[in-house]
Amino acid sequence: MEHDVLIIGAGPTGAIAAKRLAEDGFRVLVLEQGDWPDYSKATVHREDFPLTAGRDWGWDPNLRQAPGDYPINDTESDITALMWNGVGGGTVVYAAQWQRNMPSDFRVKTLDGVADDWPMTYEDLEPYYVRVERDFGISGLANDTAFPPGEGPPLPPVPLGPAGRRVAKAHNELGWHWWPAPLAIATRKYGGLNPCQQVGTCLQACAYGAKGTADLTHWPRCLELGVELRTRATVRELIVRPDGLVGGALYVDAEGNEHEARADVVILAANGVGTPRLLLNSGGGDGLANSSGMVGKRLMMHPFGTVVGVFDEDFRAWQGPWGQFIHSLEFYETDESRGFVRGAKWGLQPTGGPFSMTSAYPWGAENEIWGPGFQDAVRGRLGHSTMWGIIAEDLPEESNRVVLDPVNTDEFGVPGAKIEYRLSENSKRLVEFHQARAQESLIAAGAYETVVAPFIRATGWHLLGTTVMGDDPATTVVDATGRCHDVPNLYVFDGSVWPTSAGMNPTATIAALALRFTEQLIASRREQKVAA
Amino acid sequence: MALTDSQRAALDGIADVLIPAGGGMPSASEAGVSGQYLDEVLTSLPDLRDALETTLASVDGLSPEEAIAVLRQDPAGWGVLTAVVPGAYFVNPAIREAIGYPGLERRPIDETAPPDYNQDGLLDSVIARGPVYRPTPTD
Repeated sequence: MEHDVLIIGAGPTGAIAAKRLAEDGFRVLVLEQGDWPDYSKATVHREDFPLTAGRDWGWDPNLRQAPGDYPINDTESDITALMWNGVGGGTVVYAAQWQRNMPSDFRVKTLDGVADDWPMTYEDLEPYYVRVERDFGISGLANDTAFPPGEGPPLPPVPLGPAGRRVAKAHNELGWHWWPAPLAIATRKYGGLNPCQQVGTCLQACAYGAKGTADLTHWPRCLELGVELRTRATVRELIVRPDGLVGGALYVDAEGNEHEARADVVILAANGVGTPRLLLNSGGGDGLANSSGMVGKRLMMHPFGTVVGVFDEDFRAWQGPWGQFIHSLEFYETDESRGFVRGAKWGLQPTGGPFSMTSAYPWGAENEIWGPGFQDAVRGRLGHSTMWGIIAEDLPEESNRVVLDPVNTDEFGVPGAKIEYRLSENSKRLVEFHQARAQESLIAAGAYETVVAPFIRATGWHLLGTTVMGDDPATTVVDATGRCHDVPNLYVFDGSVWPTSAGMNPTATIAALALRFTEQLIASRREQKVAA
Repeated sequence: MALTDSQRAALDGIADVLIPAGGGMPSASEAGVSGQYLDEVLTSLPDLRDALETTLASVDGLSPEEAIAVLRQDPAGWGVLTAVVPGAYFVNPAIREAIGYPGLERRPIDETAPPDYNQDGLLDSVIARGPVYRPTPTD
């Protein structure tokens, strides 16, 4: 066998696994359907950047249609699935909000009587959080009172800035939690990362190499270690051998030529839509590793809310780390008197330049500024506003799912994905409660106007839960090591395995899990079954 | 192919309803929204040209106010209009200056400055309050 391990997907999960495996001498092949990010398109110095960024760094594969994108039918979903298919994966365009899950996130059933516990605790994952924070160049401040004490990130936090300080003071008066923001944004020169320039374009790729993205933090070392990376390599299906184990994958290159990649072990790292799509497209019938019938089910995408405050003070807040200045976990833990369970994390952000001041999101139709008074309205918002972004936990439901769409295929004829997702009553009540509290926060900080952004669909950055992890093969897809119950040389290491979604930006936990899974795989290498 | 004079005139009329002169600043047409700065926007986003022409054709012959009323019921057309008009307006450097916006600037973090997260003991009360999380159950 030419390769010991085949990894599908070169995002953070695939990069972490590839690097760690290569460090221990494994021969690793990674297939990535997209390409390397082209940072020459991160033209933040150009005046037209607000207009072109959506085209060059868009999050919706249906709109972007770049190499590596496949169709996602979202006509029956309240939320649109967003992703960036390429080397570095979603980290290339993420806001870099690097949030650990809290201890209760791993014990949802025990503490709140809903959903499921994870087959591990916060304490099990804590050493891996510490390590991936070093690997990704995380900035922040240790001993946040919303987490158990312990080692913090390697770099000091980004400045709070005038907006962050003002809201922090208000929270002190309210007696509400806040803390300097944890971010995958380098505040000092750190390894291959440059210090942040606070330009505020994190969501459209960092032009200055300051964001902890897997293409910068992991891939250079992976390649030095001999990891073989093939880009524009779109996997059609996994190869299943007569003994039921996987032997590799069939993939198509950029010219449309089909190839077979063989390996002893296969790791899926293709995100919460791509991974179940691949399993459902493999093995015939109901798909591969799906005796439980759970592949694709329990899709969670984090309903998202935004509340803006407008102030007399000029924060010059059209830019800054975006990112977040501070976060608050005041209302994260369950309080059933609120009429729902679970909670949400808030991150305080800039609001953008003049073009953003005219947008329907977050300002809403009732606050549109067209007509007489336009210029004064723009001046009133520009630099004078800041906003809370609210990441709400959604509970797993089998009716929220990824299925195949045989009509909408990718360019090679492989069925696309269809997502079916509806907001639950718990999610709706949760978001409404948090929006109301976030308004109170900004009013306490002195906002003379607050705006609750309208609900929009294009917020599905976090794709979780579709190959659920657990001990029971009858009800879960992978075990606590990421190994498929049905196919013991096939692993899922990405966010698909999450039993519950937490209310946090997920990359920190995806990364910590990927490192833990990889080291468990290495430790059990002598017992690893491989196809005959 | 460049937009025709009549297309530009139609856009001027509609754009001036969205952005009339005010606050000591020019209207959209006075700022070149259908001229030089429209051309800059369409050079950056050539795919927008067809969409803009389609949008203008859909309201051909209507007054600016009528055109806006129609386009408000057309999400695609409204999206094109509210991208092109403010996009071209704010590409004009004189407009950005008048609005007090210097563009995206590099603001390097001052590594020698004391951290602002705890100036005036800002974090003291947060720390004094103690943990706000539920620990892992021990059973």
